[in-house]
Amino acid sequence: MTARVPLRPLPRILRAREEGQNPDRIERENLARRHQADRDRLRVRAESRLLMLAMCFFAAFLTVGMRMASLAASEPEEPVIASRGSALLGLRADITDRNGRVLATNLNIHSLYSHPYLVVDPEAAALGLSEIFPDLSAEAALEDLTSESNFVWLRDNLSPEQEQAVHDLGEPGLLFGDREMRLYPNGALAAHILGGARFGREDVDFAEIIGVAGVEAEHDAFLRDPANNGAPLRLSLDLTIQAAVEEVLAGGMEMMQAQGASAVLMDIDTGEIIAMASLPDFDPNARPLPAEGVRPEETPIFNRAVQGVYELGSVFKLFTVAQALDIGLVNPSTMINTERPYIVTRERINDFHYYGPEQSVHDVIVHSSNIGTARIAAMIGPERMQGFLRDLGLADALPLEMVEAGSARPLWPNPWREISTATVAYGHGIAVTPVHLAAAYATVLGGGTRVTPTLIAQDTPPAPGPRVVSEEVSAVMRGMLADVVTEGTATMAQEAGYPVGGKTGTADIVLADGSGYAEDRNRTTFASVFPALDPQYVLITTLEEPWVEIAGNVERTAGYTAVPVGTAIIRRVGPLLGLRPEIEPVAGTRLSSASN
Amino acid sequence: MSFLEYSLKTTPTGLSKLLYFNWPLIVLVSTVAGFGFMMLYSVAGGSMDRWAEPQMIRFGLGMGVMFVVGLVPIWFWRNVSGVAYVVSILLLLYVEFFGAIGGGSQRWIDLGFVRLQPSEMAKITIVMLLAAYYDWLPPRRQSHPLYVLIPVVLILIPVLLTLRQPDLGTALLLLVGGAAVMFIGGVHWLYFAGVGAIGAGGIAAVFASRGTDWQLIEDYQFRRIDTFLDPSLAPLGDGYHITQSQIALGSGGWNGRGFMQGTQIRGDFLPEAHTDFIFPTLAEEFGFVGGTFLLTLYVLILVFCIVTAMQTRDRYAAIVSLGVAFTFFLYFAINMAMVMGLAPVVGVPLPLVSYGGSAMLVLLAAFGLVHSANIHRPR
Repeated sequence: MTARVPLRPLPRILRAREEGQNPDRIERENLARRHQADRDRLRVRAESRLLMLAMCFFAAFLTVGMRMASLAASEPEEPVIASRGSALLGLRADITDRNGRVLATNLNIHSLYSHPYLVVDPEAAALGLSEIFPDLSAEAALEDLTSESNFVWLRDNLSPEQEQAVHDLGEPGLLFGDREMRLYPNGALAAHILGGARFGREDVDFAEIIGVAGVEAEHDAFLRDPANNGAPLRLSLDLTIQAAVEEVLAGGMEMMQAQGASAVLMDIDTGEIIAMASLPDFDPNARPLPAEGVRPEETPIFNRAVQGVYELGSVFKLFTVAQALDIGLVNPSTMINTERPYIVTRERINDFHYYGPEQSVHDVIVHSSNIGTARIAAMIGPERMQGFLRDLGLADALPLEMVEAGSARPLWPNPWREISTATVAYGHGIAVTPVHLAAAYATVLGGGTRVTPTLIAQDTPPAPGPRVVSEEVSAVMRGMLADVVTEGTATMAQEAGYPVGGKTGTADIVLADGSGYAEDRNRTTFASVFPALDPQYVLITTLEEPWVEIAGNVERTAGYTAVPVGTAIIRRVGPLLGLRPEIEPVAGTRLSSASN
Repeated sequence: MSFLEYSLKTTPTGLSKLLYFNWPLIVLVSTVAGFGFMMLYSVAGGSMDRWAEPQMIRFGLGMGVMFVVGLVPIWFWRNVSGVAYVVSILLLLYVEFFGAIGGGSQRWIDLGFVRLQPSEMAKITIVMLLAAYYDWLPPRRQSHPLYVLIPVVLILIPVLLTLRQPDLGTALLLLVGGAAVMFIGGVHWLYFAGVGAIGAGGIAAVFASRGTDWQLIEDYQFRRIDTFLDPSLAPLGDGYHITQSQIALGSGGWNGRGFMQGTQIRGDFLPEAHTDFIFPTLAEEFGFVGGTFLLTLYVLILVFCIVTAMQTRDRYAAIVSLGVAFTFFLYFAINMAMVMGLAPVVGVPLPLVSYGGSAMLVLLAAFGLVHSANIHRPR
């Protein structure tokens, strides 16, 4: 770069003045020269920048060109149709029972759409469509088929007959889009567990299926995950047993004139739910929408076994006695004061029947004495009692693999007063779901380690949970429950054909507004295990507002309602479960015992 | 250089200007557009009236606009650059506030024969404004922070307005196009290096944060990036376009299947086959040869714009020509990269080929500026 020339170099100015010239001319000249130099520098820089841009252009062309060449050289991928057909359909996995029998699958169907610009004879096509679909008017169809848009939907899900009829119209502008719909081939069977599905995003050749309830919703991500490669979701349910349980339960509900019923059949060791029914039920193929102004628990989609948080009554006595035995406060023959009434902070606790001023712990269970249980609970004390119930899983929402499970939290007395210890001991003032109860029974009676309920088939037995009661206490409690059936409040269960142990529970139904208990409206429960002394299964049967007339008396207690229904279920599923009957049913046995 | 200096020299006047149009450029542009008409005819399943005919009418109108713009002296365009910019910003604001009529986001103003997208217009007016700015700015102030900040703000206004629509593709084009004009204008390269480093650092930080507690973007945004990197992860969702488009490109092979023989289109597999995704159709029917031919035409168009820029001594004319060339380059580079799976799907049409009036009209007007630069340079 040359040295900067001043705009008015003194020697030249002086010389110009001497020569009589205007020195401003020199300044202009130098200024112009300087501007020219600036411009030249700018130009050089601009050109170097241009070069860089050009190189960037060149790199882009090279990349695009090479990519194009590599794509052109790639094996021409013809199976475009196939990829639409096979890979994109069948995206949602099936749901099966534990033996691989299908509970939920997909059905390939078609939707109907049109490219109006391809339609040859809109009038004829519209007329034909209106004949195939009675609810579609010819005018509406014609308006669609002559619309300006490139694409119009005509119908969503066609039956094969409708599809054929549309096909026979021979109109090239009417086109079918592939899609799948979720099909529950067994109808209402296991409806509450499966839940249901709906369409999500819809495309011409595809419609997304989204689970809305039950395991469909809980395992939505798994069912849709292409990485599983179509592997089905295998539930712990057994289709045959589920069907039997539902059928017997429905019959029992009708016989007992009950408003609702539920049954939970659980494997006592693994916690797998073999069957679970809630009545009334629905067809998941056409899942009803919750109606306006109807409380959820009054609709058929309500799952009583999982969502129903209920006071279950005397079935809780098992926990109180088991804890007292486990701590060592009592043994089965310890005598308990059952003089009535037993007054706890001005509240009177009473028994249905009076069996004398003192009963053994064994008899407290067998005769279902509220007073006896409350006195045992007083020995245990509230803290230990709460801790025990918590260990049984009766404080937390169900860890079950259904979306509904998370919202059903047990209700505990709040605040926990002195009377609460007494009432909770025999199952009042505390509300849990039937599945909670099933898991707690499995825990206490299945050997004493915590059992977690599950709906997923377990190929290997899960590791035993933390110990809640000792092995010995578990065995003693099994014996007591067996005696409840042979000499106590559940004698009707002797009709099962299998040795059964169980405990009854009758609780007043809480009014819908929460103001108190309804008169003459009970929820009866039969919590049973079978075979009695070496139990493999837990069955919880509950009935809502049952009543039955026996010998001219209206009977509402569990012994007359839930017990016979539960017994009928055991009788029916026993052979299906491969159990060997150990008690020969005696011909001509009459239903004679009367107890609660 | 003022227009007085032009007047001292000879620039064509009157009808003789027609002779000085950059006729090779016109031929090239028409060839590309002709290619586009063929593709639109094919995509419509052999129908003229669906897309091809309206597109031809728009092309005719656009050519008219190009000639008018070309005949007006380039110094007039420099003097109205600011006005043009302000008008396009006002139109952007107009669609921002009144565009929601009729539901959905409306990005255009109906002019009857064409729906004008102000964001398309902004692509050219930002180039014009920045060219005028760097023509006015003394060279020694080009890299002064204040004088760098001004054009950055001028670029960001339309970018943010288009981002709100939301139209990521156009916003990106505006941003990169504007930055390119600043680069041509002579801003010190350290600014660009700095922005590039910050951008790269930001991207690296985003990826490094994945799965940690201080994750910078949402999970679904990561999934979208994953889909871009491997479209087969979501063959139905976001990856669908890319997968189908690459299948179409692959199915064409070297020589293509022949005109009207594309399978992707017949089967309705490729959505948007007449707009953003028209290139796969072309490549399927004409193969690698056809695709490369189109690419060559684009390169030649660029070359003619660059030559015009180098021949003129007027700084404004040069920057505008290069800016137009670069904007044009961005259009087809992003579009092609997008359909080939080299860039995410951002919605940028293939210039002069894709169906759509606004982009075509604006591009032809922009070529009018290049013609004007070519005609009105002193000879």
